[in-house]
Amino acid sequence: MKHFIRYILFFWVLNSAFSQTDSITVLEEVLVIPTKLKEFSTGQTLTSLQDSLLLQNKPSLISALNFNTPIYFKENGLGMVASPSFRGTNASQTAVLWNGININSRFNGQTDFNTINTGSYDAINIRGGGGSVIYGTGAIGGTVHLTNEVDFKKQFKNRVYIGYGSFDTYDLRYQLSAADKNWSTKISFSRNQSDNDFEYIDADRKNLNGAFYNNSLNAVFGYQFHKNNTLKFYSEVFESERHFSLIRPSENRTKYEDVSLKNLLEWEVSGKKITSIARVAYLKEEYKYFPNIETESFTFGAANTVIGKYDFSYKFSKKIKLNAILSHEYTDGEGSSIPQNERNISSGALLLKHLVNEKWAYEIAARKELTNDYESPLLFSFGTGYSFTDFYKLKLNVSKNFRIPTYNDLYWATGGNPDLAAEEAMQYELGNEFLFSNFKITLTGYYNDIKQMINWVPGSSGYWTPKNIDEVATYGAEFLLNYKKQFDRHLFAVNGTYAYTVSENKITKKQLIYVPYHKVTGSIYYAFQDLFIETQALYNGEVFTRSDNNSNYNLDAYWLWNAGLGYHISKNFTLGGKVRNLLNSDYQNVEDRRMPGTNYTIYLTLNF
Amino acid sequence: MKLTKFLAGAFIGSILLSACSDDDDFTGEIDEPLGTYDNGILVLNEGGIGTVTYISEDLQTSEQAIYQAVNSGDDIGAYAQSIFFDDDLAYIISNGSNLITVVNRYTFELVGKVDSGLNVPRYGVVENGKAYVTNQADFSTNEDDYVAVINLQSLEVEQTVVIGNAVEFIEEEDGLLYIQNATYGTGNYISVFNPTTNQVENTLTTADQLNSFEIEDGIIYALSANSIQRYHINSLEMISAVDFSFGTQENPLSAANLDIEDDQIYFTVGTSVYRMGINAEEAPEEAVLTYNSNSAYGVMYGFEVEDNRIYIADGGDFGSDSFVEVYDLQGNLLNNITVGVGPNGFYFND
Repeated sequence: MKHFIRYILFFWVLNSAFSQTDSITVLEEVLVIPTKLKEFSTGQTLTSLQDSLLLQNKPSLISALNFNTPIYFKENGLGMVASPSFRGTNASQTAVLWNGININSRFNGQTDFNTINTGSYDAINIRGGGGSVIYGTGAIGGTVHLTNEVDFKKQFKNRVYIGYGSFDTYDLRYQLSAADKNWSTKISFSRNQSDNDFEYIDADRKNLNGAFYNNSLNAVFGYQFHKNNTLKFYSEVFESERHFSLIRPSENRTKYEDVSLKNLLEWEVSGKKITSIARVAYLKEEYKYFPNIETESFTFGAANTVIGKYDFSYKFSKKIKLNAILSHEYTDGEGSSIPQNERNISSGALLLKHLVNEKWAYEIAARKELTNDYESPLLFSFGTGYSFTDFYKLKLNVSKNFRIPTYNDLYWATGGNPDLAAEEAMQYELGNEFLFSNFKITLTGYYNDIKQMINWVPGSSGYWTPKNIDEVATYGAEFLLNYKKQFDRHLFAVNGTYAYTVSENKITKKQLIYVPYHKVTGSIYYAFQDLFIETQALYNGEVFTRSDNNSNYNLDAYWLWNAGLGYHISKNFTLGGKVRNLLNSDYQNVEDRRMPGTNYTIYLTLNF
Repeated sequence: MKLTKFLAGAFIGSILLSACSDDDDFTGEIDEPLGTYDNGILVLNEGGIGTVTYISEDLQTSEQAIYQAVNSGDDIGAYAQSIFFDDDLAYIISNGSNLITVVNRYTFELVGKVDSGLNVPRYGVVENGKAYVTNQADFSTNEDDYVAVINLQSLEVEQTVVIGNAVEFIEEEDGLLYIQNATYGTGNYISVFNPTTNQVENTLTTADQLNSFEIEDGIIYALSANSIQRYHINSLEMISAVDFSFGTQENPLSAANLDIEDDQIYFTVGTSVYRMGINAEEAPEEAVLTYNSNSAYGVMYGFEVEDNRIYIADGGDFGSDSFVEVYDLQGNLLNNITVGVGPNGFYFND
């Protein structure tokens, strides 16, 4: 810690030479959205969470998204394994992209939303609906894009965020951004740790064995040979250890260690008509599970993935763009219950975007994968948007998407099924976008027909085996609202989401467990001069925990309220505090996984 | 949820009332119930969170989650495995929570808990004032499987004896404990454990894929996937064996769930129940009954023959409430009763 402070002071002194006049008002920013995502999302709806907003949430990805998006989250206790249900889909049907690279685990096809520290990113963009043509496996419910920006604007900035809260929780985030005309670098370090020993509400017990920490180091470098020739390198190391909370004191104490490494080298050359981007990525994921921390024994999984991608686009005119993407992915993975296996997947995709006129645009795309390990369908997407007036736009998207069988599905020593096919989803969505004065309202209806869903079922040999047997229809509506008004020295912003979700097993006609019919989020931000207040609310409707929808075992609906207050002491200093779960709700989002009552955080942000 | 709370409250009220009247009226007659849950069948449901369903002797009424109801929402832990008894006390083993919940078997009121010293406990038996409970410990190895010796006064584990092989069912006979060293369809040993020395004195080698065993009149009956064998309890010498060949050549079926009742050997194969004389030399050909199940893994998840009735539990999908079926010895269905998640065992308060 001593060194850390000295380090900060060092930059503090250095900083005076580079002092900037950056705005400190949190909401006045240019949105950071990757080009591909911006260009090829016709007919779909994007939500963008910028880093100023990320700073107002706990650092884990689940906290950032839970209060700001319609995605429902299952969390096995605070800080423990967390998985999404986006538009009624399951945990492996939401793809998480790190700078455009799909990072869902090669073992279970999911991303644990408590193993992503958001302190490293400039923005997180969320897009509902299908996206497998560009983003690959799991892009069914939607995609979550973790985005780092490379900005060739002369700057030298440091930002330190120090948060401390209940249950001995530390949240430290540091970011250095330095750039000039032809080079740019950003280095971030985040640490989150907590004893996580909160008292249960109305019970004479504490959360036991819940302590966790994680470290995330992220570096981005960019070099511009000249304006149309750029090299970028992104790298991230994440490491965490979580003790898994106990339901009862007599249970064995367990822990889980995660290490992941993500690297991406990107070389972009562009001309008037063409853009050529070559990418090489190297991903490593490794986990160790200790079923009893009293002993040394553990189970593990480790996979290395190398991805080569070539992305070529050609502009026929200002209005028509054709884009071809070729990629190859090689994975080498093994685990305690998975013999070493190599897997090769090649794919080709073709995308066409056409801006017909000022009002009308459409895109059309297709993708096909070649692999020996499973059957893979031809994927496609069609999206269009038409602006009837200045304030009303109608959007339509139809696509076919997939989720490929994972290492666990294919190669698990007892039960793994090499004959699996990919899950297939036919998806339809219709969006309405209204823009007037300071309001933006989006209303989307969608229908997803998911077939050949992989489910582990009891097999004849006495152990469970995955099969392409489930059929699920998910449909519903999403309502998004943004309002922003600035006058004199006031700034007022409101965001809200509502999701109505039906996720029905087509064979049993029952709602899937852990998918609420209703979810509501809302936030209000108000700033006056140097003072700002913010509040967030979340409503999760009742969920079934039994496959027969026996309502005796439902988890109750709950409301969560958070409120924060901050003050910009000077241009460089912001001091704030936040109270979470103001109502002291005794809530669970996974059966028997208790969550904390009212808890507090204070924080300090330094910009220099 | 509010409705359930109300119902639970009303239910507890009714128990208190009936419990009072029971005490007042107790006259010592044999049929006089010793508590709300006397004269009936207890079904253990593994869960998620384990529960116990009570079914009345006449099979006409049933009550779910009786422990939770009586003990104001407390529960018996995750993955309830089995129950063993000692006089009026029932010891309910939860393998997911390393917990034994001790209740009065007739009222289901909590008496105490064994909440340390266990590591994936499976089955137990009481001998000479102590409980002996098998523990699987680390799943990745059988080397550390042990028997926990529990002081029934303090409910503390006072000693653990590592067996060095898988441990599963445990049965007492003439002061010795017989421990099945086979789980999940692998293993072929039964250890003879002496509780006075806390040592394995002898080991019986059975046919492969030992599923279950029972001791009756000085003979150990061991049921393996494809045979039943009889052994002298003292010499451990084989007396006889009957081979099975159920199913087809491509898809052979294994025998499971041995139960000996009234000189008849009962066991299950797939969704069917078979019966043979205790000394029979031939495998039975006709099933006593066959039931319908949609659950591949949970077929015959619990099985018992008692007082001229055959009890079958179906595991269902393990994600929702399942059912049990009760048949007479001719294979006629007497009733189908909804129970909890993953029913795995029957116990009788009669």
